[in-house]
Amino acid sequence: MRYLIEKFGKINTSVLFLCIIFLIFELIGHRHGETSIEDVLFFPAIFGFFSCVTIFVIAIILRSLLMKNEDYYDD
Amino acid sequence: MINFPPGFIMIIGALLIPFLPHILRQIYMLVLILISAYALTLGFGLHTKITLMDIEFILFQSDPLTLPFAIIFHVAAVLNVIYGAHVKHWNQHMAIMSYSGAAIAAVHAGDLFTLFVWWEATAITSVFLIFAGKTNKSYGAAFRYLIVQIGSGMFLLAGAILLMSETGNAEFRNFNINSLYGQLIFIAFGIKAAFPLLNGWLQDSYPEASEIGTVALSVFTTKLAIFCFAKSFAGTEILILIGVIMTFFPMFFAIIENDLRRVLTYCLNTQLGFMIVAIGVGTELAINGAVAHAIVHILYKGLLFMGMGAVLYRTRTCKASELGGLFKYMPITAICTIIGAVSLSAFPLFSGFVTKTLILSALGKEGLVFAYFMLLFSSAGVLIYSGIRVPFFAFFANESNIKSKESPLNMIIAMIIASILCILIGILPSYFYEILPYQIQYQPYDFSHVIGQLQLLTFAAFAFICLWHFKIYPPELNSTVLNSDWIYRKMLPGILLPISDLINNINKKIERFFEFIFIFIKKFFANTMIKNKVFDREVGQDTLIVVQLFIILLIFIFVWKIYL
Repeated sequence: MRYLIEKFGKINTSVLFLCIIFLIFELIGHRHGETSIEDVLFFPAIFGFFSCVTIFVIAIILRSLLMKNEDYYDD
Repeated sequence: MINFPPGFIMIIGALLIPFLPHILRQIYMLVLILISAYALTLGFGLHTKITLMDIEFILFQSDPLTLPFAIIFHVAAVLNVIYGAHVKHWNQHMAIMSYSGAAIAAVHAGDLFTLFVWWEATAITSVFLIFAGKTNKSYGAAFRYLIVQIGSGMFLLAGAILLMSETGNAEFRNFNINSLYGQLIFIAFGIKAAFPLLNGWLQDSYPEASEIGTVALSVFTTKLAIFCFAKSFAGTEILILIGVIMTFFPMFFAIIENDLRRVLTYCLNTQLGFMIVAIGVGTELAINGAVAHAIVHILYKGLLFMGMGAVLYRTRTCKASELGGLFKYMPITAICTIIGAVSLSAFPLFSGFVTKTLILSALGKEGLVFAYFMLLFSSAGVLIYSGIRVPFFAFFANESNIKSKESPLNMIIAMIIASILCILIGILPSYFYEILPYQIQYQPYDFSHVIGQLQLLTFAAFAFICLWHFKIYPPELNSTVLNSDWIYRKMLPGILLPISDLINNINKKIERFFEFIFIFIKKFFANTMIKNKVFDREVGQDTLIVVQLFIILLIFIFVWKIYL
């Protein structure tokens, strides 16, 4: 625990613990979604994580295309 | 007695604002809003109608759809007045008062011509808030904003005139997208709702406005468009597709954008997408979702803009690359901004959650799986690019050298009120659902919704932490991110300027050619005027008489041939 806090900081460690707690909650109760795919175990967690990574990957690609100097329009 | 529409008194009353001393002015504005809100007690129905030149203008009508928008517009107007109370000059106060009044009056318009008048009034009054940014960039942005907004009004007017000529009246009602007038009106609303590729004005102009101006702007214009769509195009399927594109397309721009107020405008755009999707679905649950989301969005986005406005006011910058570590100087502002960000991210017990689940449930019930997952995808994204990024880079992240004071008291009061509203709606959704257009039973707080949403958000946050910790997250740089306004700011000038230069060159060459011909003719006649030639001064008199007689003869023959 202390190792985690030292390495990642308080906030990051608490987010990690929250993640684990919400996963455990799902095992205790029965979660069902609006669609059948969502009923897969830990679906929202997996979906949330990979959505975020996907958005970053696309954003980093777009960064090289769309990012210009600050005074781009002032010329 | 004629019942003036709500908002009208605010527009007329705004004319007195310049003549009042500062404190009295603030009280006067609050009183104006209260008087305007009193008109809402008249209940549903048609209240005011006038006939001019055989055309009926419905100035004031209200129904279950107008009421929630009218309430939130009044609440937002009050928050704007409180938030801007530190500004001593009258110009922005006058603009905000008349702008909010015009938007409220527009909601109560019963025909398209009345709507058009208020539609343009919102554009003309709000542009002063962008001018109030007082930079060269804001002047340019203000003019572009005005052109786009007035242009949208022209589409609306064209649609209204066509509708009038086809059906004999221009009632503001449900329209068919397959008719030409329907399409024109759709485009008019679409421009104001910042549809994909029509959204450039939004990100271009809002962040250039003054700190109090952006808060006011974020409330009215786009939400007025959402109201109009809900009233006129509910259940139009194409809106689902457009809305889905809106929810994810601006997301990537928001991540690479450096100006935090501009990040919020991209975020605003994605949230408009949620509402547009729900309107496209068109069921009672979905329309309730769209209206509810518009209301809470006004509150939490207003709150976020207030937080960033306060940062801008104190530090004179809103750039992620220049900010950081402000939490210790502005703790209350930071906490309020975080509440706005948490509401936006739709954490349970906060306002965003009770409205996003409404929309997602409506999509699930209709079996619109693709749209459902796209919105879920966007829900995860919004946490990152706005929910975490905005408060993180402003108040935490890297230590900057900026030192500042806490925000002025009036700003803090406005932010606290907005924060309380965000939390109250989240905790007591059943009271909030009562003001929505349709009375439905819906329970957002069940195990599946709550745990599903918490997992989605915490793991998205965890992904952000991983990316940040392992330094995959790209550094914040001072930059300009290209958006659809690039089309009219760079591409069109890039094409049209060379063409215009080419036409100018051709024109000059043609001019020179004719000049040459004229000189040639002049020389020729000059030669004929020397002594003993046809146009010699003495001989010329006789020649002229002969020519004149000949012309009269020709005219005579011409007239004779035609008429006799």
